[in-house]
Amino acid sequence: MKSPVFFLVWIVVAAIVFAFGLYLKNDYFFFAGYTVLQYVVLATGWNILGGYTGYVNFGSAAFFAMGAYASVVMHKVAPLPVPLLIIIGGIVSGLVGLGMGYLTLRLRGAFFAIATLALAVVLQTLIVNWDFVGGSRGAYIIRPNTLDIAGLQIPYIEYLFALMLILAVCALTVARIVERSRLGFGFATIRDDEVAAEACGVPTLRLKLMATTLSGALMGMAGAPFPYYIGYLQPSSAFGLEYAVNSIAMPMIGGTTSWVGPLIGAIVLGTLQQVATVTISSAVNLLIVGLLLTGFVIIAPNGILGLIHKFRGQSDADKVGRRVIRETP
Amino acid sequence: MNGMVQTLVRPTRRALLAAAAAVALFASGPAHAADPIKIGFSMALSGGLAANGKAALLAMQMWQEKVNAAGGLLGRQVQLVHYDDQSNPNTVPGIYTKLIDVDKVDLLVSPYGTNLMAPAMPIVMQKGFTYMGLFGVGVNDQFNYDRYFQIMPMGPKSAETIPDAFFAVAKTLNPAPKSVAIVGADAEFGKVNADSARKIAKAMGLKIVYDRSYPPSTVDFAPIVRAVQASQPDLVFLASYPTDTVGITRSIHEIGLKTRLIGGGPVGLQFAAIKTQLGPLINNMLGYELYVPAPTVKFPGIEEFVAAYQAKAVGQGVDPLGLYVPPFIYAAMEVMGQAVTKTGSLDQKALAKTLHDNTFSTVVGDVKFAPNGEWEKPRVLMVQYRNITGNGLDQFRKPDPYVILYPPQFKTGDVKEPFQSK
Repeated sequence: MKSPVFFLVWIVVAAIVFAFGLYLKNDYFFFAGYTVLQYVVLATGWNILGGYTGYVNFGSAAFFAMGAYASVVMHKVAPLPVPLLIIIGGIVSGLVGLGMGYLTLRLRGAFFAIATLALAVVLQTLIVNWDFVGGSRGAYIIRPNTLDIAGLQIPYIEYLFALMLILAVCALTVARIVERSRLGFGFATIRDDEVAAEACGVPTLRLKLMATTLSGALMGMAGAPFPYYIGYLQPSSAFGLEYAVNSIAMPMIGGTTSWVGPLIGAIVLGTLQQVATVTISSAVNLLIVGLLLTGFVIIAPNGILGLIHKFRGQSDADKVGRRVIRETP
Repeated sequence: MNGMVQTLVRPTRRALLAAAAAVALFASGPAHAADPIKIGFSMALSGGLAANGKAALLAMQMWQEKVNAAGGLLGRQVQLVHYDDQSNPNTVPGIYTKLIDVDKVDLLVSPYGTNLMAPAMPIVMQKGFTYMGLFGVGVNDQFNYDRYFQIMPMGPKSAETIPDAFFAVAKTLNPAPKSVAIVGADAEFGKVNADSARKIAKAMGLKIVYDRSYPPSTVDFAPIVRAVQASQPDLVFLASYPTDTVGITRSIHEIGLKTRLIGGGPVGLQFAAIKTQLGPLINNMLGYELYVPAPTVKFPGIEEFVAAYQAKAVGQGVDPLGLYVPPFIYAAMEVMGQAVTKTGSLDQKALAKTLHDNTFSTVVGDVKFAPNGEWEKPRVLMVQYRNITGNGLDQFRKPDPYVILYPPQFKTGDVKEPFQSK
């Protein structure tokens, strides 16, 4: 499928999801759905660096928070429509990603992961001590009840949900394009063996910088509308541990080698968490991510995608190999 | 990929079942007159605020039992619909829309704590619900919602109440104090109170000799206490969170801090776990309390409530004393119940009007709300802990360890100075 066609198909799917929400006439669908979609974007962003390139980033929450705080700054300086804030959030977090790449990409494996964790702590300390964005007190972002678009009064949460849907489709399209391009193959070579890739003439540093920037930008975009969703942004909620954990757990559960993996993981785990919050509703909630991760590591180390391939009797290596042969001119 | 798209597009029996389940999850039938009155809220039953959240839930259930045994409200039984927000603000918007749109609750109560209350505000305002707040500080300052109410007795200027009480006591010292050190946690409560303390100290003409906040993750407080010691303040105002309060108190005694008066807003001293853990180390410290069993604080029904709560609290993993959170949560529910009865309906606008226009008698005394939904007059007790021996729990059930210094109508003694380390 060509990328524009892919994009259009998913836009249609998104429109159906949105229409289903309107049909239910139920704000809960939009609120719960927003959170799941936010995770789709976050997990897809993480997967570009973590899945395609093999660099595990524990600092997702920092990129998410940078996007959110970019919106808070803009809200105070010059209020802009949320779609523009998403772009600004993407640029800010993309730049943070680029900076992180320059500073840390000499590190590999666990050392890189620790460095990203440290980055999150440093950025959180910065925000806590920056009174303009509320500092440790937090910032109130009061959203209007409805948005006037061409005379139509649209409830604000439906607007945010629709934006997140479009953003999710864009993120998936970008991830798919990257996965199937020379860039994606470059990322895969770094994941498989960085030294060998370098020896073969793959410009690893440049590629890694592109991966950190792209990954950071997507995660920042996921965070940009968040202040309008939550209404009161505190450093502890923007830098919440659940963003770091979920953005790793979701691609791991779905499968990290393809754009579908984070999508499946985010929908499964995100929905499960939303449902568990209002059904089990006790500390057992917190067990879910842990148990699922442990279960998948043992039973399906390549995630749900890996399981599907296994059932079809087709190994990942075969699939990638065949695709390379088919798509390389 | 093709196979996947097919399963996504072609409706299988399993997919139809799943869709039906999804519709059932999001839809529910209309309410009937004989149905129970549903009161919805999210509560921290796991995570950092769980200890308070569980105690709050227990108090609410005690109220529910009592009301239902007496025939309910408006002839209908009362049902509590609640979910665990995991002490995580991000779960709150979803839970409150579920409560309103899916569970179709009739009344709303807030989660526990400022940062969990605020995320529900935009939703509550949009749906026009009356919102009874539990233990949040200054949430309505930004929203100015006329159907917001708050049970914590901090008064209309909630940020200034605790520092006000501390410095009111400091003014009674003879000779008058000349200098103050302000130590606050770098988080919402610490910052709000340290800011107000600074303002009041300046107005009083006190010299601020130390004014620093510490990151919430601090574990070693010795350097902070040493720096305070070096500045030789007459007063030390603290605005710390529970674990910090423990760390600071221990450091104060290890280093032997000499000052005339110390305390104000150390969160944690209100709870049995920290009272018993620190024991005699908090002697002569000043802490804020909302209720203590003193002879001047006799609200009708409070002693019976506390006794009943303490009996139920055994083995439930909640605060065994229950002097701080539970009576006020119970009072919040009493206020809601009385307002419904007085209004004679569940109309949210009429309910808010009833709440604004009336005084409610509860286990924590008479409650009257200011236009911004806070208590009309603050009623925080500034207490000096004394006569604490050992780490036993039972001594805290009696009036002996508490000397109320402020406000004057509840005063049980004069301030004792200096605060001395052993």
